Amino acid sequence: MANLKEIQRKIKSVSSTQKTTRAMKLVSTAKLRRAEELAKRSRLFAQKTNQVIAEIALRVKCQKVGGIESRAFAKIDAPAMVDIIFVTADKGLCGGFNMQTIKAVRKMIEGHKEKKIKMRLRGIGKKGIEYFNYNEVELLDAVKDLSSAPDMQRAAEFIQTSIQDYYEGKIDAVYIVYNGYKNVITQELKTIRVLPVNVDEYDCSEQKQSMLEIEAEDHEKMLNSLIEKYVEYNMYYALIDSVAAEHSARMQAMDSATNNAKEMVKSLKVKFNKARQESITTELIEIISGVESMK
Amino acid sequence: METLKLEVITPSGLIFNGSVLSVTLPGEEGEFGVLPRHATLTTLLKAGVIDIEKENKSIESVVVNWGVVQVDEEKVVVLVDGAVAIRGENESEIAKALDDAKRLLRDASDSNIAIASVAAKIEGAAQKLIY
Repeated sequence: MANLKEIQRKIKSVSSTQKTTRAMKLVSTAKLRRAEELAKRSRLFAQKTNQVIAEIALRVKCQKVGGIESRAFAKIDAPAMVDIIFVTADKGLCGGFNMQTIKAVRKMIEGHKEKKIKMRLRGIGKKGIEYFNYNEVELLDAVKDLSSAPDMQRAAEFIQTSIQDYYEGKIDAVYIVYNGYKNVITQELKTIRVLPVNVDEYDCSEQKQSMLEIEAEDHEKMLNSLIEKYVEYNMYYALIDSVAAEHSARMQAMDSATNNAKEMVKSLKVKFNKARQESITTELIEIISGVESMK
Repeated sequence: METLKLEVITPSGLIFNGSVLSVTLPGEEGEFGVLPRHATLTTLLKAGVIDIEKENKSIESVVVNWGVVQVDEEKVVVLVDGAVAIRGENESEIAKALDDAKRLLRDASDSNIAIASVAAKIEGAAQKLIY
C-alpha cells in the first residue's frame, strides 16, 4: 500500500509542475508576440539608417581620393585590442539559449587568444555574467537588468564607452554577440561587427546620379553623428532581437517540459493501476487461501 | 494640389507616414521648409519641431530631439531618435503629449533658450488643437 501512495504523490507533483510549465509557456507566448512586434517596427528604422549611411559613405568614399578619413571606416588588418559585447538573458529556463551565446563567446576568446589579440569583455544579462564570473573570466563591465527590458537610452549609454574608446584608438573593433530571433521555433546566433563599419561592399561605379552637392565638411560631420547613432541603434536592436529569441526559446523549452510532464503522468498512472491491481490480487489470494485452509 | 510623401521613423516605429503638402524641419543650420519637387538633400536635424502641413491643410507638429533627413523630389524620410507627435482626441491626451514632448526636449538640449523657444511653439500648436 505504501507503494501506491508514493506513486499517487508523484503523480500529483508532476502534474503541478506541468501546470507551472504550461503557464510559463503561455506567458512567454504573449511576451514573444510583443517583442516580435517591437522588433518588426524597429527593423524599418534599421533599414533606412543603413540606406542613409551607405549613401553618405559612398559619396564620401568616392569623392575623396584615398578613402574616408573617419576612423569608423578604417581598415584595421591587425587589431590589437577588441571589445566583445555579449547579450544573454537575465533568467534561465529557456533551453540552450544562454549557453549557445556563452559558447560562441568562449570560442571567440580562444580564437583571439591564438592570434594574440587582447580583448575586453562587456556583458549584458545576468546568466552570461554569472557564468563568466564563476569561471573567473574578467569582465570590463556588466549590466544585469538591461536584456529583459531593452531601452534605447540605456543601450546608447552602454555602448558609448566602446565608441569613445574606439575613436581614441584604445580598441580596434567592437563586436556584439547575441542569440537572435529567426522565427518562432529557431534562434540564430549572431556575431556582428559594429565598428569599424564595413564599406568595402559599396562600389563607386554604382553610385546613383544625384543632383546634390554638399560640402565635404558637412559630410564628415553628418557621417560621424550618424555612425554614432547607427552603433547605438545596433546595440538596441541586438537587445530587442535577443529578448524575442529568449521568449521563443523559453516557449519551446516550456512546451517540451509540459509534454514531458504529460508523458510522465501517463506512465505513472499505468504504474499506479498496475500496483493497485497487484494489491487487489494479493488480497484476493489471501482471502481465498484463508477460506481454503478453513475447509 | 501636389503632395510629397513624408515618413518620420523612430527606433520604435513609424510616427508619421503619409502624403503632405509641405513640411518644415529644424535643420542643424536653421529651419527650412520643403515643398514637393525639392532638390535632393541630406542633412542633420537638431532638437526642435517638425511642422507638417497635411492634405487637409491642418498642421501637425512632431517634436524631435535629433535626426537625419533625406529629401528627394517626391519623398522626405526623417530618421529620428525620439519623437513625440502633438495630437490627441481630447484635451488631456494633448496635454500628455505636450508633457512628453517637453521632457524629450529637456533631455536632448542643454540650452535653455532653445528649449524655451521650442516649448513656446508647441504650446501654441497644442492650443490650436484644443480650440
